[in-house]
Amino acid sequence: MLENPRVWRGRSQAQRKAGLASGYPELDRHLPGGGWPAEALTEILTEQYGIGELRLLMPALARLSAEDAQSDHGEPGWIAWVAPPFQPYPPALQQCGIDLSRMLIVRPKNASEVLWSAEQALSSGTCAAVLFWTEELDDQTSRRLQLAAEKGHSWAIAFRPMLARQQPSAAALRLELHSSEQGTRVHILKSRGGRPTVLNNLL
Amino acid sequence: MSRAWKSPVTAREAAPTSSAAQQALPFLEPAPLVQTLSLTPTSVRRLWFCIWLPGLSLEASRSSDGATAIVEEQQGIHRVLLADAQAEAAGVMAGQSANAALALLPTLQLEERSPLREQQVLEGLATWLERFSSFVCIADRDVLLLEIAGSVRLFGGIRPLREKISTSLCQHGFAASLAIAPTPLGATWLARAGRRVCIRDEQNLRRTLRDLPLASLNWPEGLCASLTGMGVISIGDCLRLPREGFVRRFGTEHMLELDRALGHLPDPRSSWRAPERFCADYEMTEEQSDRELLLNICRELLLSHEQFLLLRQLGAQRLSFSFFHLKSSATELRLGCARADRSAERWLALLRIRFEQLVLPEPVIAIRLRSGMTQALQAESERLSFHTASNRPARRYSIAQLAERLIARIGEQSVHSMTLVAEHRPHYAWRAQSLLSDWTSNTLSEVRRHLQRPLWMLPEPALLPADSGYPLHQGSRLQLLHGPERLETGWWDEDGISRDYYTAVNPAGIRLWIFRNRSRTSSWYLHGYFG
Repeated sequence: MLENPRVWRGRSQAQRKAGLASGYPELDRHLPGGGWPAEALTEILTEQYGIGELRLLMPALARLSAEDAQSDHGEPGWIAWVAPPFQPYPPALQQCGIDLSRMLIVRPKNASEVLWSAEQALSSGTCAAVLFWTEELDDQTSRRLQLAAEKGHSWAIAFRPMLARQQPSAAALRLELHSSEQGTRVHILKSRGGRPTVLNNLL
Repeated sequence: MSRAWKSPVTAREAAPTSSAAQQALPFLEPAPLVQTLSLTPTSVRRLWFCIWLPGLSLEASRSSDGATAIVEEQQGIHRVLLADAQAEAAGVMAGQSANAALALLPTLQLEERSPLREQQVLEGLATWLERFSSFVCIADRDVLLLEIAGSVRLFGGIRPLREKISTSLCQHGFAASLAIAPTPLGATWLARAGRRVCIRDEQNLRRTLRDLPLASLNWPEGLCASLTGMGVISIGDCLRLPREGFVRRFGTEHMLELDRALGHLPDPRSSWRAPERFCADYEMTEEQSDRELLLNICRELLLSHEQFLLLRQLGAQRLSFSFFHLKSSATELRLGCARADRSAERWLALLRIRFEQLVLPEPVIAIRLRSGMTQALQAESERLSFHTASNRPARRYSIAQLAERLIARIGEQSVHSMTLVAEHRPHYAWRAQSLLSDWTSNTLSEVRRHLQRPLWMLPEPALLPADSGYPLHQGSRLQLLHGPERLETGWWDEDGISRDYYTAVNPAGIRLWIFRNRSRTSSWYLHGYFG
């Protein structure tokens, strides 16, 4: 029972399920398990896209896409991008160390297809990470996606507008990103097994 | 001609009805002819299985209940060609005029003979028979021939093979007369005579054929009548006639036919090949709009498609369904698959996803399933289970299957992978790659580390407003951090560029990738975000 991340055990970091190292030591220190919650839903709220939300994820995604074949019986995981607001630019992705042959871009036509595609990709067991951009994600749907991520052993990342801040969510981790002249501020709104904090000038 | 006898294979392929053979043979005495031909290597033994379907025109007809008779127009009068058991019991016979038959049995259903439908049924049977032999031949409008010498061992002997075929034919409602003989014509005549025999050697065949009545030869009626008038009533009688005289009176053709049947002359046949592409229709008796029912019909079609491909060891990568309506034009539905597949269940799963979204303007009257290009199916071995002993459990389905499902619902254009292209122009430096084709090809192109490239690219460069030459973004001036990087290339095609790229940052801290055209110095464009 103590291994269950839902059980809050004060500040002790012992015996946590290991997370995906984010590549930002300061962030890792504040996340339970020392990194992004694997096999769970992460929500990232931003005022607008392009303020550094991808840079935040790149080190972890690069590690996932290039992961050693042995860890996953012969096939490293794919990274699915569902309904990205702009075109993810392959040369830049490659510069970040991402294996381009493992990218799956899905551009659904409407909001319900976004959620359907994300759920399909999460539960298929072939995608190591599924990034999706949506404005409509209610409590029930986020729970579904959380379950799909657990089932498919996949990391789900939902990008949502700041308006969604007041809505309840089943996500294991909720972050808020603010950009300013000094840098991007990361605000941990909710962290299962951790506690909310504000990290300045992370990026 | 001498070349044709060299090997049994070439002998089979050579046409025996060449003019030289026709001219030369009648003047040969029978004995020397047999001697010359006995030099032919006989290592390849053939055994022909003949299926004669005397009631094919009735079986191919569609009416199911009640007394039925098939009529055909002969010299302006509709005459009964075939009548089913019920009609025969009432006295309807072949050769009667349609009116006479109706007088005998007023409830009789008359149906015009349809050679096209008979041919379709026959081709369907030939396709089905391909599972018993690699050589199936449609010999006549109601005769099918199978070469079974190579199949006997596989099916555990001639008798089990014959039983298997005859019971299956019975189950499908075909009345067939079967015979096995070393020559195709011999087998056909035996089947037509209703002799359910199995003859393996030619000696025996000649003995048996001698007793056959002339009627089983399917020769023209006039010829049969004149032969019968001469007291010739069996094949044996025919053979007893002098060859020369027979040829002079009745023509070369019939003599050659006798020689072929007895095995004195080779009788090459061409094998019937089923089409490599699948196309099947399902016609409904009335219009249907019940989706579950339509899906069930599609399932039936997919199952027969699977059978079709299974027999050929093929798989299909694309399928198309056509839903026909009475008034409007047909609704098309295309399905694609990442790897060639034949499994009906897998196709059905894809169909279900698409079918949910399909808008049918009207009820459906018929459904057609057509397969695209077929290809040899690659068998794949499963992994041994101890390889999956790592912490990850077995995946639910592969990336190919995931892509198929996504494509089935969202469309092929909207699901893709990406690859780099060695090109300086930023918007040509990559391209989308379809997941339905082979995507394993890895790109060799490498982007230089020191070049600043944004993670987010705008689909089209956006014009930025400018304030006395400085670009503005969201109302405030941009600060240039890095640059310029001059890209001046592409002069060889329509889409040449000449740009200076800069990395800029706006007061909110967002980093942008902007450029200015060299030719028009005043305009700034936003091309991407560093994300």
